[in-house]
Amino acid sequence: MKKAEKCISCGKGLIERGSTTFICPNCDTKIGRCNSCREQNVKYHCQECGFIGP
Amino acid sequence: MTKDLQEDNKKISEDMMISDEVYMTSGVHIGTRQKTADMKEHIYKVRNDGLYIIDINKTDQKINIAAKFISKFNPENILVVSVRQYGQKPIRKLSEYTGIKVLDGRFRPGTLTNPSAKGFIEPELLIVTDPLADSQALDEARNIGIPVVGLCDTNNELKYIDIVIPTNNKGRRALALVYWLLSRAILKENGKIKSYENFKPTVEDFEAEI
Ligand SMILES: [Zn+2]
Ligand SMILES: [Zn+2]
Repeated sequence: MKKAEKCISCGKGLIERGSTTFICPNCDTKIGRCNSCREQNVKYHCQECGFIGP
Repeated sequence: MTKDLQEDNKKISEDMMISDEVYMTSGVHIGTRQKTADMKEHIYKVRNDGLYIIDINKTDQKINIAAKFISKFNPENILVVSVRQYGQKPIRKLSEYTGIKVLDGRFRPGTLTNPSAKGFIEPELLIVTDPLADSQALDEARNIGIPVVGLCDTNNELKYIDIVIPTNNKGRRALALVYWLLSRAILKENGKIKSYENFKPTVEDFEAEI
C-alpha cells in the first residue's frame, strides 16, 4: 500500500522511521501515524467514520 | 453470576459477541495492580484488593474492530507472536483456523529486519500478545513501519500500538477466550463462516495445558 502523506493526528510528513500507514479498521480510509504520535500514544480520529484509535 | 462477579460488572451493552458472564468467568476483566496512563480509558475501576478492572464493553468492541482490521489483510501477510507461554497455544489455534502466520516462544532478533536471518519474514501486520513481553517483535515492527494490533493489560503502554484490545493478557483462560473470539470474528468477517454458530472449536481447544 502506498504510504499516507501525513500523520492524521499532527499533520507531520511520514518520513521518519517508526511511522506507519494502514486502512481504518472501521471504514476504508487511509490513515497515517507518525513516529512521535505512535510513540506517545496520541489518539487518531478517522475523519470519515469517526473511529478513534488506538 | 456470583456476587464477586457482579461487583466487578459494569453496565453491559446488549449486543456483545458473547455474554458478559463468559468474559468474567474467564477473567478477561482482571487486570494487574498497575495502571498506566495509556490504559486509563479502558479501565473501569480499582478493586479493594488493588487490582484494576478492565471495561469488558471495550474489550468486546475492540475484538470486533480488530477482526475487521485484520480481515483487510491476506492472512499470510500477518504475524502473531507470544513470548508468554499461556498465549502460545491460543495463537497456534488462531493460526490454524485463520491462516495467520505464528511465532510462538522466543522471537529471534532480526526476524523482521534482517533478510539473512534464519526465518526472516516480511509481514504487513503484527499482532502482539503483550507489548512488554513481545517488545523485540514490536521494536522490529516499528523499524519496518508496519501497523500493530496489541492485546494490552492495565500495566501496558500503547507505544506503537495502532489497535488496542484491552484484556487480561496473562491468564490462561482469558487468552484462550480472547483468541477464540478473535478467530471466530475474523472468519465471520472473511465470510468463511456464515454465523458464529458455524464456528466449531471450543474455548477449551484454545486453552494452554497447565
Ligand atoms: Zn503525528
Ligand atoms: Zn474510518
